Amino acid sequence: MSTWDGLLTGLSFALQPGVLIYCVLGVMLGTFVGVLPGIGAMAAISLLLPITYYISAEAALIMLAGVYYGAQYGGAVASILLRLPGTPQSAVTALDGYPMARSGRAGVALFAAMASSFVGSMLGILVLVLLAGWLSRAATAFGAADYAAMMVLGLVAASTIGSERPAKGFAMIALGMLLGCIGTDVNSGTMRFTFGRTELLDGVNLVALAMGLFGVAEVIGNVRDPDRQGVAERIGLRQMAPRREDLRRMPLPMLRGASLGSFFGALPGTGSTLSSFLSYALERRVARQPERFGHGAIEGVSGPEAANNSAAITAFVPTLTLGIPGDPIMALMLGALVIHGVQPGPMMLEARPEMFWGLVASFGIGNLLLLVLNLPLIGIWVSMLRIPFRLLYPAILIFVCLGVYSVRGLTFDIVAVAGIGLAGYLLALARFSPALLLLGFVLGPLIETNLRRALLISRGDPMVFLERPISAGFVLAIAALLLLSAWQALRRRR
Amino acid sequence: MQRDWPDILGGFALAACGAAAAGWAWLHYDLGSIRQMGAGAFPVALGLLLTVLGLIVALPALRRSGTLPRAEPWAACAVLASVLTFGLGLRVLGLVAATALAVLIASLPAPQRGWGWRLALAACVTGLTVLVFRLGLQMSLPLWPRLG
Amino acid sequence: MMTQPTRRAALGCALALVAAPALAQDGWPSGPLHVYVGFPAGSSPDVLARIITEPLAERLGQPVVIENKPGAGGVIGVQQMLANADDDDLTFGTTINGPLTTAARMMGDTGYDVGADIAPVTLIATSPLVLAVAEGSGIEDLQGFVDAAAAGDQALAYGSVGQGSGAHLTAELFADEAGVSMLHIPFTSYAEVTTSIIGGEIDAGFMAPSAAAPQVEAGSMKMLGITSAEPFAQAPDVPVIAGQAGLPEDFRAELWNGLIAPAGTDAAVIERLNTEVTEILADPAVQEQLLAIGWQAAPGTADAMAERIEADTAMWGGVIDRIEAQ
Repeated sequence: MSTWDGLLTGLSFALQPGVLIYCVLGVMLGTFVGVLPGIGAMAAISLLLPITYYISAEAALIMLAGVYYGAQYGGAVASILLRLPGTPQSAVTALDGYPMARSGRAGVALFAAMASSFVGSMLGILVLVLLAGWLSRAATAFGAADYAAMMVLGLVAASTIGSERPAKGFAMIALGMLLGCIGTDVNSGTMRFTFGRTELLDGVNLVALAMGLFGVAEVIGNVRDPDRQGVAERIGLRQMAPRREDLRRMPLPMLRGASLGSFFGALPGTGSTLSSFLSYALERRVARQPERFGHGAIEGVSGPEAANNSAAITAFVPTLTLGIPGDPIMALMLGALVIHGVQPGPMMLEARPEMFWGLVASFGIGNLLLLVLNLPLIGIWVSMLRIPFRLLYPAILIFVCLGVYSVRGLTFDIVAVAGIGLAGYLLALARFSPALLLLGFVLGPLIETNLRRALLISRGDPMVFLERPISAGFVLAIAALLLLSAWQALRRRR
Repeated sequence: MQRDWPDILGGFALAACGAAAAGWAWLHYDLGSIRQMGAGAFPVALGLLLTVLGLIVALPALRRSGTLPRAEPWAACAVLASVLTFGLGLRVLGLVAATALAVLIASLPAPQRGWGWRLALAACVTGLTVLVFRLGLQMSLPLWPRLG
Repeated sequence: MMTQPTRRAALGCALALVAAPALAQDGWPSGPLHVYVGFPAGSSPDVLARIITEPLAERLGQPVVIENKPGAGGVIGVQQMLANADDDDLTFGTTINGPLTTAARMMGDTGYDVGADIAPVTLIATSPLVLAVAEGSGIEDLQGFVDAAAAGDQALAYGSVGQGSGAHLTAELFADEAGVSMLHIPFTSYAEVTTSIIGGEIDAGFMAPSAAAPQVEAGSMKMLGITSAEPFAQAPDVPVIAGQAGLPEDFRAELWNGLIAPAGTDAAVIERLNTEVTEILADPAVQEQLLAIGWQAAPGTADAMAERIEADTAMWGGVIDRIEAQ
């Protein structure tokens, strides 16, 4: 079947009312849970699983996928309006989205996030359709050494984010990586820093960490802030609409972000997080006035949002072409297929073309729906900021607690949020970047496992990082980046 | 001279954390070899790195002036107490009582007098929570206190 | 693995029967049942629990609530079942073998004592593992694999889903019986192991048949042997490992999944549940659903499950001893 025929088949399949309704249901629920701080796609998909037993495998997959990418749209809302990111990707969006909202440009930030998400998804679909085969070969070609080198590159590239002094940024990354060591060591099975608590065996709960560092810390800082007590002025339509300058600044970051996202998204693991951070770092580096970043630069919203949404689409590449899920949520979706007697795997494209193409078509339809659904909602979201903060923040705290609890149903995690929140507040007072801590926390364990795995497989030969072409490429890029930074620092000093 | 206390205290605190983690890992976990790195290798390396970075942040700050951020100890206590109350109370008190109590505690530092709005807020947030999480998302949560 | 009756397990069960008040539970179940599952919603153990509890709720006339408490390889699910148990006999759990057999050895302290705190209800299903290698590896059969592994110390590298996981221990048991030594590379999921085998980074892995089958169909992997006593319905062409390539006739390693209750649960309730689940598992439609996610229905008595726990704890304990001695 040619690509064109496939797309037509897919469209006619996905537009059947009996299928479309599940796509609508999926993206709506996805947006809803995405907006709720901490409740991610995982919780929503678990909720929908029983329904999937009663509908066709194709419709089930389309619905669950809708939740998956729909949650990315919703996640931006809570991070921009209230600085409540439930995932590391949305933490990047909060870096500039939240300052925009605080300076009365919440509507513009939300518009930028929605539009970029849409463009990112569309480019992701294009890449998925045209390059799926190539990307899936790339994904299997990546070995442990390549992953380790790639993640280190990500850390080095992102280390300049959000702090005026590099040492403070690096310190946060190191602290994040150290926190990432907590739990059972994959390679040896040793329980590290768990102090006898079973709840820590799988590490610190990522949602609890994000919520404590950002949400709780932000609430503490604002409870008595006089600026936030009165009823904010009504924001007119004119302020909500993006200015011409905003529109001019968005397209290139979107394209760059979507390219990064489409590539990294296809690699199993943490493509979405990595590409958001890389996109932000890239925009900051190419910007004429990098000092605007962190104070409400629209490129800092646009690029990463395009990146994480295109990554959410191309994340389906290994899942669909190889039957190998790239993250736990994908695994969950494949589980739903298996219940229907569909064996996900490399043969699925041939055996059930309507499933593959129907899903691809539903990506397009679903993202269009999300855009149409979300743009009118911007007004409502923004008007939420007119609620006096004293009425808002107790509700935020309860929602944060339940969002964290939803991940694995342990009250231990809620108690942990209190401790992390205190630490986060102190770090914020001392102006350390919580986003970098989160990045270190996510990438640290991956770097450690892959580095140790690479050395184990090479029987202890460190040259493996230079002998494998992919890894060697990343090592070169790291060296180039470090030299560039050093050169820039020298030039500035002169 | 007003010193740059955030960097001084923050830097030293991070250095202390790093040193403690490195020390603990050194004592308790295997370091291994290049071929088979042990569980302790990364924590020790990261702990030492954090110690050095913390000192790099703190030491230059000793001879630099800076501004002191305004801390909100009262707000911090109330917010953290609220989260703790909710976390520890959820299983025992049930969702309704834990939410209402946590909202009341959280609202204590708000710069507005009176108990009327606080009680009303607690009732509203509790209703909303039950509606969204228990009825909407079907989360498995006990609504009422556990008797006996 | 052979299951041999042990005196302690039989004695424990006999005592439980004597101590139970005779059918004090006429009104049981008085409310919804809560079944704790130590794995996230949608995972294979969770789907298994849902397949069983749906007809169970119908038969008992009470809803059955699945409580997902994932973490620590299923140990948190068992802990939470015990922590939330009331004396109304409505709290249960389903778990894979790990938390009841090897977890105490691997973790030092799980917070519960399997013998004293857990009352087995019934085994639900078992799952064998297959030995898989890349299609282009040049290894054709089990004998070829053993020969390649014997070519040198740690000549072959295999992947598992973690230190102490079923995949790891099975591979070590295999290596020990075959008289070879292989390099263990721990991963966190079969998805990662599969990618690594196809990418040629590692040589082999003991995997769930459902994880390997699609890759075999696509011609990127092949299965050399299976760890069950008989060929498995999901991979009927794969020969059993037992008796091949110099491995003993009784070579057998299976994962299993069972229904458990907190100790002190009324014996009549356990008996009732055992009967209900056994009848549910006799339904061919249920068997087929289980097979689709890689599990073969294997009901039995509560005593038989207690024996299985004891036998497996001893057998895997021996394997762990040998690994630690290296």
